Amino acid sequence: MAHILLKHIDHPGSRDIGVYMKSGGYRSLEKALAMKRSDIIDEMKHSGLRGRGGAGFSTGVKWSFSTLTPNLPKYLLCNADEGEPGTFKDRPILEENPHLLIEGMIISAYALGAEYGYIYLRREYPAALGILEKAIRDAYKNNLLGRDILGNGIQFQLSVFQGAGAYICGEETALIESMEGQRGQPRIKPPFPVTDGYVGKPTVINNVETLANVPYIIEAGGAAYSKIGSPSCPGPKLFSVSGHVKRPGVYELPMGISLREIIYDHCGGIRDDRALKAVIPGGISTPVLPANNIDCPMDFLNLPRHGSMLGSGAVMVFDETVDMSWVCLRATRFFEHESCGKCTPCREGVGWMAAILARMHAGQGNSGDIELLLNVALNISGNTLCPLGDGAASVVKSFLRHFRREFEEKLERKSCSAERA
Amino acid sequence: MITVTIDGMQVVLQKPVTILEAARQLGIVIPTLCNHESLEPYGGCRLCLVEIEKTPRLQTACTQYVDDGMVIYTGSQAVIEARRSVLEFLLINHPLDCPVCDKAGQCELQDAVAKYGAPAGRFIEDKRNVPENFEDPLIVRNMQRCISCARCIRMCDGVQGASAICMVNRSGKTRVEPFSGGRFDCEYCGNCLTVCPVGALLSKDNRHAYRPWMIDNTVTSVCPFCGVGCCLNIQIRDNAIVRVVPQGSGVGKSLLCNRGRFGCDVVKSSNRLTSPLIRTGEGLRNVTWDEAIGFVVERLVGIKQRYGGTTIGGIASGRCSNEDNYAFQKFFRSALDSNNIDSAAGLSYGPVRRFLEGAIGRACAANDMERISRSRAVLVIGEDPTSVNPVLGLQIRAASRKGIPVITIGHMPGLRLYQAIKLTARPSAETILLRALVSALKTSTEPAGSNSVLDDALRSVRHVSLKEAESMCGISQRRLDEAIVALVGAKDVSIIIGTHLVRREDGHLNLLMIACLAYLLQGRIFIMSESPNDYGLFDMGCHPYALLGAMPSRTGLGVMEMIDAAVSGGLKALYVMGDDIFSVLPDKEHVKAALSALQLLVVQDSFLTETAGMADVVLPVPFWAEQEGSFTNLESKTRQFGKALQGPGKEGWRIISEISKGLGYYMNYNDAAQVRAEIESTASLQKVGADDERARILCAPSELDYQPHEDDGKIVALVDFPLLGQSPEYGCSPTLKLVTREPYVRLGTTLAGHLSIEDGDEVSVSSDMGTLRLHAVIDADLPGSTVMIPRSTGDKGILTLMKWRMNQVTKCPVFDKTEVVISKIPGNQEP
Repeated sequence: MAHILLKHIDHPGSRDIGVYMKSGGYRSLEKALAMKRSDIIDEMKHSGLRGRGGAGFSTGVKWSFSTLTPNLPKYLLCNADEGEPGTFKDRPILEENPHLLIEGMIISAYALGAEYGYIYLRREYPAALGILEKAIRDAYKNNLLGRDILGNGIQFQLSVFQGAGAYICGEETALIESMEGQRGQPRIKPPFPVTDGYVGKPTVINNVETLANVPYIIEAGGAAYSKIGSPSCPGPKLFSVSGHVKRPGVYELPMGISLREIIYDHCGGIRDDRALKAVIPGGISTPVLPANNIDCPMDFLNLPRHGSMLGSGAVMVFDETVDMSWVCLRATRFFEHESCGKCTPCREGVGWMAAILARMHAGQGNSGDIELLLNVALNISGNTLCPLGDGAASVVKSFLRHFRREFEEKLERKSCSAERA
Repeated sequence: MITVTIDGMQVVLQKPVTILEAARQLGIVIPTLCNHESLEPYGGCRLCLVEIEKTPRLQTACTQYVDDGMVIYTGSQAVIEARRSVLEFLLINHPLDCPVCDKAGQCELQDAVAKYGAPAGRFIEDKRNVPENFEDPLIVRNMQRCISCARCIRMCDGVQGASAICMVNRSGKTRVEPFSGGRFDCEYCGNCLTVCPVGALLSKDNRHAYRPWMIDNTVTSVCPFCGVGCCLNIQIRDNAIVRVVPQGSGVGKSLLCNRGRFGCDVVKSSNRLTSPLIRTGEGLRNVTWDEAIGFVVERLVGIKQRYGGTTIGGIASGRCSNEDNYAFQKFFRSALDSNNIDSAAGLSYGPVRRFLEGAIGRACAANDMERISRSRAVLVIGEDPTSVNPVLGLQIRAASRKGIPVITIGHMPGLRLYQAIKLTARPSAETILLRALVSALKTSTEPAGSNSVLDDALRSVRHVSLKEAESMCGISQRRLDEAIVALVGAKDVSIIIGTHLVRREDGHLNLLMIACLAYLLQGRIFIMSESPNDYGLFDMGCHPYALLGAMPSRTGLGVMEMIDAAVSGGLKALYVMGDDIFSVLPDKEHVKAALSALQLLVVQDSFLTETAGMADVVLPVPFWAEQEGSFTNLESKTRQFGKALQGPGKEGWRIISEISKGLGYYMNYNDAAQVRAEIESTASLQKVGADDERARILCAPSELDYQPHEDDGKIVALVDFPLLGQSPEYGCSPTLKLVTREPYVRLGTTLAGHLSIEDGDEVSVSSDMGTLRLHAVIDADLPGSTVMIPRSTGDKGILTLMKWRMNQVTKCPVFDKTEVVISKIPGNQEP
């Protein structure tokens, strides 16, 4: 498959506006500006593009909600707060192909009638900041941004907003709170950002990768796009593969490709040719899958059938040497650290799970700890304000479901040493 | 119409409400913690989770709005389990130190756990450990008990508008902290204490003093510290106030300000009078009531017979109840045959009320405070409402938060973040500013109805263009225009008037212009009032120009005239009730000379004030909660306050009726209710409607032209109204003393830069009358040639610097001509 998102990525000047334009960049924008706004949104709907941030909601449908509200001004925010462990798929776009994102944003803003846009960039990407800012400056110089884009009388002002390092700010309403200068905490929904978003105005928030798909959809048409990958979740997908594979990295592959193909065909298999033990398929907040699931197609619909989710497409690969109870502890500690503290089950419950796991891992576990852990996870599930706590609970549940034996061994070892004493 | 089924019961609703509200209508209790009636829904604690048919997850009842046909279960197995788990989560890090927690017994967490919680805990790890923080003088923070419901923060941010506290850290380490670090350094309203559901924020004052169930009695009362008169409950134990809490309904709802919440300890002040005193030589000695009253009667009879009743003056007080004030003026007018009755409120509140009622109509200021936040525009003129009448100020902040334009004329630090359009004129230029607004508004609006006095005034007032106003007031035309656009467009304007604008050279004209503005805008008027009963004081007729139900046949002397008359010998006796006139009148030496020249000075008060120290007879009265009575607040709402404590002294009305009896005029009251009954029967005679005669006094036509004010570069001192340290009783409250600022002078950035003065520097401020050593406070919003000094008691306040001048129309002492010289006092050189 020819690359769409990572096109020219290996070209040394890929982030340069001149190089980008020479290879056909910003032609989609010209084409889009000649289209009616509603036609662009229809084209998005036809494409079947689903948001690449993790939830997999239809981008075209989300955009059409935004057109329902008459309030002005409208905002377009790009979520570049890629903060989940294992996820680094947006980074090549931000650092190597920034104009693809900017072009996608300008087209989206035109379609949505948004005159102001921000890229919410995680602070841990300092290189991307300079690159994006230069790219935006160049776009302004070339009359691609500003008050009168390409002489069409369309306005779009774009700038970068740096986050302060909280994972929760990748959640769209917490992202908005953070941009407004508030503490980064999710808001109650409804109202949704599409009607009451940034500073109370209608706001569309899309992931970097989602927006980077837009120019191609305009160029090739929604129908052509929908033929790529899985019929129900079409398009190219960026997979950031990490862990015990021979060639970790970001891969652009058609949606619906199997984990087996990703790991063995593209990433060269497991390091030292050891056996595969488990895969976290979509970033740390998605449930773990044991090795026997690797023929599952990687898309938004098939992974749930196997008990997990596509999430951001961050594939974390674990070989036979890994202690899965330790992975579970590491993951839970991450969620404990990143829980915003607003709702009770997540604030208190996730920390409690981490404490139990730490105790078990240190050989201090008690006989009922697995049941207790499961029960705490159950009590968090479904009762939290946002998906962070739910994610933490479902991760723990998945580890206990598939690797319970490893947890039990921890407890047995403790009782053995107690007997010896 | 929306029909919802909750636990099998149907309710029909007119409009969408939250599930919590719908359940409440059915009498179904859903437990909550982060929810509070004064705050926006938050959805954080998750205790109110309920099950909705066809909805996969449980939903929070406090945030979820009902839909037609919704079927809700509040007691299903899933709901019960969710509740129990939320409570378990809340308890894992909670110290469970209920035996030593002041909140135990009225703790919402304790109650919820008792009702819905699990019987045993499963958490065996170490609990979060956060040491209790005692750095603040008034508020103790125990963040181990905190359940992160954010009610305190939402109160501080979204209602009080002080934004002094925030959440810090994430996850289980989340806790509440003041922005300023250990101390709160805030407005000290203590409203965070009201909303804290657990023992995380507690008042230091009554820490470990009692358990909630040990309260003997709760008495409904009215706050005695300003004209808002918030409804509060006094909790009593062993004949002492343990705590004052808002009533949750009525004026102020669940809000109080620092004075109301923490100031009540003035009742235990060491400065309280306990026994009647009579002067012998230089000192005052304890006497019996019979002796004291006999002495007053004898002397008053003598003076009345020898010089006539008109040589006797009375100073009533807005701090005293309607009952006391009514009896006082009745005694003067009937028993002494004198109309010389005035009060400290007569210096500014009086003229404002009198002339506005004359021009616009009786009870024109009798408006509901809650309407302010529902106006279309708010115009605030004069001093800072957030410090004079703090809870009224909150209504303005609420209006601003809703996007309603707030236009301010004057220096208002408490509205700094809430004013849309700030018009701060140079001193003495307010008149020009007001005229410019009137000039612009009269061309763009047509007043409804007609008003002969104000129509005349509008015709003859000289037009002041925005350009002229810009050059004379130092406010840009653009900003003036914005203000006018905001006011013209709004059909519903609240006008909040600070009374000190009349204490200017052109005070009477300011007042006329304010009346014109109110007339043109058909505004809803609120007159700020410093004392709890300024409104009632005037209704009772404690005023030289008016009496209850009628006008006196001849007018009496105003407060300043009485002082002058005492010096010149025309006034022989003065009866001062409830006010320390030294702390409110300018030119201390003059006042001292006046009091010394009197043949008789009677002081009836609860505290041994400076004035009482000069008296021939001192009559102690109970203070506020030690007696029953009524106050009429600035909205004209009269409320009774109950007797909560036994206190020293006799009620004011009782003393007065005993003296009156001695003079042969019988006022037979056995209790306050009898006085009230008489007031009610007399009040119905009151005259309604505008009163041209009173209003016309305001302006001679020639004055409607104006003299341009040039900025001569001289520095002028004005009175500042600090939020902390406002009322004279303040000096007596040990608790409030802890947060009251040292005496200071507030000056603008330019002036400070010019004089090389930095924030916190010690400076000397001198006028012809005296010199003060004060700390400098730099305030960027203050115009260049103005400095502001609070009117604090003792020798540190602005009154020490003020000259004796009178506005002949309003009979107010003029405050804007106090020219001062400021210089930095060289301190110890920093190494």
